[in-house]
Amino acid sequence: MSRPNLLAILSLALLSSAQAAAPPPAPPGPPPIAIAIHGGVGVTEASKMTAEKAASYQAGLAAALDAAYAILERGGSSLDAVTAAVRMMEDDPQFNAGRGAVLNQDGDAELDAAIMDGRGPRAGAVAGVRHVKNPVELARLVMERSPHVLLIGDGAEEFALEQGVVLVPRGYFRTHQRISELAEAQQAEVNRGTALGSGTGTVGAVALDRAGNLAAATSTGGLTNKHRGRVGDTPIIGAGTYARNDGCAVSGTGHGEYFIRQVLAYDICALMAYKKLTLSQAVTEVIHGKLTAAGGEGGVIAIDPSGNIVMDFNSIGMFRGARDGHGLRQIAMYRDTN
Amino acid sequence: MHAIAIHGGAGAVPRAALSAEREARYRAGLAAALDSGYAVLEKGGTSLDAVTCAVRILEDDPLFNAGHGAALTRDGAAELDAAIMDGKQLRAGAVASVRHVRNPVELARHVMEKSRHVLLVGAGAEEFALEEGLSLVPNLYFRTAERLEQLLFEQRGEHVSDIVPPVSQGTVGAVARDAAGSLAAATSTGGMTNKRPGRVGDSPIIGAGTYAKNGVCAVSATGHGEYFIRAVAAHHVCAAVEYRGMALEEAVRDVLHEILRKLGGDGGLIAVDHAGRIVMDFSTEGMFRGARDSNGRRDIAIY
Repeated sequence: MSRPNLLAILSLALLSSAQAAAPPPAPPGPPPIAIAIHGGVGVTEASKMTAEKAASYQAGLAAALDAAYAILERGGSSLDAVTAAVRMMEDDPQFNAGRGAVLNQDGDAELDAAIMDGRGPRAGAVAGVRHVKNPVELARLVMERSPHVLLIGDGAEEFALEQGVVLVPRGYFRTHQRISELAEAQQAEVNRGTALGSGTGTVGAVALDRAGNLAAATSTGGLTNKHRGRVGDTPIIGAGTYARNDGCAVSGTGHGEYFIRQVLAYDICALMAYKKLTLSQAVTEVIHGKLTAAGGEGGVIAIDPSGNIVMDFNSIGMFRGARDGHGLRQIAMYRDTN
Repeated sequence: MHAIAIHGGAGAVPRAALSAEREARYRAGLAAALDSGYAVLEKGGTSLDAVTCAVRILEDDPLFNAGHGAALTRDGAAELDAAIMDGKQLRAGAVASVRHVRNPVELARHVMEKSRHVLLVGAGAEEFALEEGLSLVPNLYFRTAERLEQLLFEQRGEHVSDIVPPVSQGTVGAVARDAAGSLAAATSTGGMTNKRPGRVGDSPIIGAGTYAKNGVCAVSATGHGEYFIRAVAAHHVCAAVEYRGMALEEAVRDVLHEILRKLGGDGGLIAVDHAGRIVMDFSTEGMFRGARDSNGRRDIAIY
């Protein structure tokens, strides 16, 4: 699909609500399929967002969304769909994951990712990797080819080599944009005398396939100017990533430390299972109730076994997209407009 | 009402292989940690100080798989993980894959109290330790003759249970409720013998191996970590108590004997609820454990 064509479709598809409305009762037909993606809550204020930048973000989201949806439509698995969506956003330098990830205090990209298969459930995750082009794919190898769930640092890269993954030099991940952001953050640190990481970008996807399987995947470079070795919620199963076929699939983005302490992704599923909340009610409770009360900022995308999608956040915006078998196709950044 | 429970790992030391002398040493090690942790509570100290104290003593005891005497990776090094959580404000700190920190639980506490982060790993965590003024120790400090022997057995494909004397495979942990009603949990481990470098289990994963929330419960786990991560085991116990109104005992039984068993994983959990009730349960042959409270309870048990 060419860029102009894509943008024309996009401008028609922009919806005005932060949450995709639950679809009407499904008519008899093929089982539901659905996917949602996010590109982080690190959205600049609407007044500072140029039309050109907005179009570029939207095109990046649309490419990932539609490629993943095509997998589901062909009868592919939710696991393949979320892997594809996250891999594409990892490769897109505008998002904080893979190439173009934010840099730590030493000027390196230190990458974290996780994937979870609602069947089983099974999970794989990596943290602190510096030479793996697509961390989400390594997370998937951990899940499928190792007895472990979480591998970190050099040990994770050793495993990558054992699996035939080609490592890339650290320079692959660094972009001019991220280098100047790091310089600004470090200058501010010198001026203020305290370290303060910034950036709340992360990419993620959740999906439901025709077989009724849920999956979630998340990938990130973390915070700009972060302390070497700092790991956020992304690779923590239950915090930034969770999927269970009889519950929900969730991918989070935001201030990771809060997500870890609240076991936020899993808490959404627990509220549904134990307090019989709907997906939308559970997300509202954790994001606008618990996360906001704790002083944390962030958002989630989530999907339930019926294919209902919820995308919600307590920040000014969240890069996001949703598409399902009932004709929903949404790409959005802010709460009330595109 | 104040109460503390500790564990020194589940499984792995078959009853028949544990000599009376060896058993006495394990019991003495558990008693030292339990009574020191309890003494903190008795003096009006916090649950956070009590669990830190108990876990530090177990880390220093070479019989247990944490700190000095931790299980070794396939490369023969100790790689340590630990976490601590304060139920009062849902604050937490954790470290993973540190190789030169004498008491990982103390570094986890520094992460919680002195950094903006929850989890620091590897060399970055050790850099933070230096920034905090902690002195590092050589990796050799952690290695004991028994753990090297255990590693060789494992690498030759022999059963660890054949090792004489047997050594605990487990993890160490503590949960406590102080007189003010605050709950805390801490866990520390060397992980699995012969593990792949970089492998991280459930201990430093908030919600999996360690969790505490005031008014609900505090939990520390030991066992096959990958299963505890997938099941989000520690938080699951809290969610079952808070959202379903389950009794703590029932919630612990459900996660160990239903959910984890179905997934195929075994291990044990210690937990304490807001009223100071202690639950210690396991799906393995045994779990090194101890419990003490201000109603006069004082138990130390293995099987």
